[in-house]
Amino acid sequence: MLKDTLSSLIDLAVQKFGAAYAEARAQKLNKTMLTVKEEKVEAAKEGIENGVAIRVLVNGAWGFASVGSFDTRVLADAVSHACRMAKAASLKLKSPIKLSESKAIEDRVLARPKKNPAEISVENKIKTLLVFARNVLGHDERIKSCTIDYLDLIGTSYFMNSEGTYIEQDKLYVWSRILATAKEGDIYTFSREEVGSTAGYEVFDVETPEVVGERVAKRAMDQLKAKPPKGGTFPVVLGPNVVGVFVHEAFGHLAEADLTLSGSVLIDKLGKKVASEVVTIYDDGTIEGAFGSFKYDDEGVPAQKTLLVKDGVVVGLMHNKETAEKFNTQPTGNARAEDFRVEPIIRMRNTFMAPRDHSFEELIEDIKFGYYFKSFRGGQANLDGTFQVGIQEGYEIVKGEISVPVCNASISGNTLETLNKVDAIGKDFELWPGRCGKGQTAFVCDGGPHVRVLEVLVGGSA
Amino acid sequence: MVALKEEEIVGLAEFAVEFALKNGANEAEAFAYEGLTTIVAIERGQITKSSRIVDRGLGVRIVTNKAVGFSYSNILTDKKTVEESVLKALKSAKASKPDKDWQGFPNRKPFPTTKDTFDETVCELSPEDLVKIASTMLEACEKTDKRVFPVEGGVGASYLTRAVVNSNGVAGFDYGTVVECSLAAVAQEGGEVTPVCFEFNAERLYRIDPEWVGFEAARQAASALKAKRVETKNMKIVLAHYALQQLLYYTLMDAVKADYVQRNQSALQGKIGEKVASEILTIYDNGLLDGGLRTWKFDGEGVPQQKTSIIEKGVLRGYLYDNYAARKEGKESTGNAFRPGYLSTPRIEATNFHIMPGKSSPEELIGEIEEGLLVYSVQGAHSSNPVSGEFSVVATPAWKIEKGKIVHAVKGAMLAGNIFNLLKNISALANNQRKVWQLVAPWVLVENVKVIGK
Repeated sequence: MLKDTLSSLIDLAVQKFGAAYAEARAQKLNKTMLTVKEEKVEAAKEGIENGVAIRVLVNGAWGFASVGSFDTRVLADAVSHACRMAKAASLKLKSPIKLSESKAIEDRVLARPKKNPAEISVENKIKTLLVFARNVLGHDERIKSCTIDYLDLIGTSYFMNSEGTYIEQDKLYVWSRILATAKEGDIYTFSREEVGSTAGYEVFDVETPEVVGERVAKRAMDQLKAKPPKGGTFPVVLGPNVVGVFVHEAFGHLAEADLTLSGSVLIDKLGKKVASEVVTIYDDGTIEGAFGSFKYDDEGVPAQKTLLVKDGVVVGLMHNKETAEKFNTQPTGNARAEDFRVEPIIRMRNTFMAPRDHSFEELIEDIKFGYYFKSFRGGQANLDGTFQVGIQEGYEIVKGEISVPVCNASISGNTLETLNKVDAIGKDFELWPGRCGKGQTAFVCDGGPHVRVLEVLVGGSA
Repeated sequence: MVALKEEEIVGLAEFAVEFALKNGANEAEAFAYEGLTTIVAIERGQITKSSRIVDRGLGVRIVTNKAVGFSYSNILTDKKTVEESVLKALKSAKASKPDKDWQGFPNRKPFPTTKDTFDETVCELSPEDLVKIASTMLEACEKTDKRVFPVEGGVGASYLTRAVVNSNGVAGFDYGTVVECSLAAVAQEGGEVTPVCFEFNAERLYRIDPEWVGFEAARQAASALKAKRVETKNMKIVLAHYALQQLLYYTLMDAVKADYVQRNQSALQGKIGEKVASEILTIYDNGLLDGGLRTWKFDGEGVPQQKTSIIEKGVLRGYLYDNYAARKEGKESTGNAFRPGYLSTPRIEATNFHIMPGKSSPEELIGEIEEGLLVYSVQGAHSSNPVSGEFSVVATPAWKIEKGKIVHAVKGAMLAGNIFNLLKNISALANNQRKVWQLVAPWVLVENVKVIGK
């Protein structure tokens, strides 16, 4: 029994090595990965990733060890390693780490997909991807390439800690990324879409190869006739997809309590107004089937809907057990580890701006000249609040109407200044799946309604 | 867990290939990997944790009727897990579709010798030793400037082994070490927070300089204070190592990959022999560079690594190939099949992408600039258009240069342009080359870059 093994490891850490806190996290995981380039299957890939992570707090410092094994002797050795690592790390400690205590939980969380990817043959998965490819490539002969990656990840994680919590939780992720390039003369364009779900393979019944393929291909084609935007400060309307990445990158990372403590611009802003009063932001781990949802995080804390900004005022941060103790509050269920090899750190889940009451037409009607940025290519933020979001689909707004497409734009500015310039918020709402990198990869969703910003710096080459 | 011996790891790979052939594979390849890593981490001004990560596994690539299947497992306890992996890969190959361009795994070739890729000292570093190195770095940072706060960082030491065996007689084993230290710092004064200033030093041999990393992170952070906005105009910029790596990684390094070229995804398609960059620019991809962070005897599919000419005096000379892309054109692989571990099939990547340095000192480079920017890092390079090479990024941290001198830090300036135009506008190269992951390069001076200030 894996439960008994984990239990003996916790005992060993606490009783023999004097750990103040110990957790053991085991993982049994199967992955299927497929890559299709144009209409060729590159390779059908399957893998097994099993292993155990041990994390202990000894003398106020963290020790961590991970091994790809369930062998009891190897695991006992890992516990002794982790404790030795913690003791070494504590040598120069100035302020010992303390953790907020949680009450013990016992639970077994089952995945309940309508269509279980484990029960769908690789042949059928390949068939779906080839339909994707044909829809993209068949759109126009100027579409020159199409790369489709597919991943499903199915397994169970087993979590036990020295507070008496034991959780067995199924993991199920289905993800696909569709890339297309188009070429006409010397002009090259590039378009990307992602599909992601924790519900099951049924996600492709909504995000069908036809719907997604059309979206990817049409954008690559439209971009062929796009012009570079002007560089400078302009009013903009951001689509839900761009609002999502802005909320995630520009604001969300600053509100991850570890980064807040590291000196993010939010450090002295709790309870203060940082944004225009129409701005409300959540990070929610409880949206059923969303790519960033789960029941318990990797410290055994239940996920929740965390209010970060309410009517322009910062009311909360995202916490693990360590930062919750520092802020004298409760952990929010944001501690996530990519796999057994690495330790849990504070990560976002499904992060979004709440909708209000404007129609899209109302948002653009007063703009004499500006930009509508509909879909992002990438985004990044810095602790000082400088953000950058690259745009893969954008349009000029001229005299209150959507005009010609623009290419390769990006927007930048200071997060808090920009949040203060948000002056109107749409009544629509979309949530988009994505992957976030913070040393480890986490599956997340970002989103919101359409949003108008009075001015933002546009990095255009024209 | 202790490291597997050469005969153990090669033995498992050989067994996988034999078992695959016995069970109906037309061709088979096994890639085994093991990494033993010890890390000490710094968080918010102090050393708070230490980790030991043992990661090993075997990836099996199998071909039946020109269809490729792949399977991996990280459980290498006995031959049974290897057998299961092989059977899975066979099943995957059967489920997959034939690829008419598949022309076999590489053939056996003699492996070259490499230099400065393994250091016993690195293997012997204890967690206590790493704590000492981390403290040296932290103390150097803290004593440099009181306004600086070390946000995060760490020290890591790894011992890595890899083995490739295939059914064409390739059988290789190689091992090496990597040791690195890094520190990210911000400076705070009067309500102003600087962007994160990151410095690091990674080497194959135990020759890192933690004191320099600590000092340098602090120096950058302190001098990033009192940042001002600049006017929007075209000006000269100096791209320091890290900024150059960020910009090239998502653009030029993709454009020279043969699969990108073959699939109409490269703006450098059909341009061999043409002038694509300034004539002072010469770039080699050198998989055998002494002490290079990506130097190995052979690549991810057992092809000897080599030195490949990419750009000579501004003229495009070649692309990077793996075996598959090379055979499609009737060529030989350049040894650029990259595998980060056992988890996936190889893909084309640069090894040590080496931009030949110039003669000027960094000070001389700056000294000649009437008005420009010195850029240490950019934000958003990953959102560049990977096909056309268009970029639009924030320069941060960056400093304004006037009349040959650095005058102040710059706030929120964006750079927009096209990487292939930028390559043509390089007017000088400094003599300060260093390794930044797969890039080995000096500072470069670029003329006429669009800077958007406000």
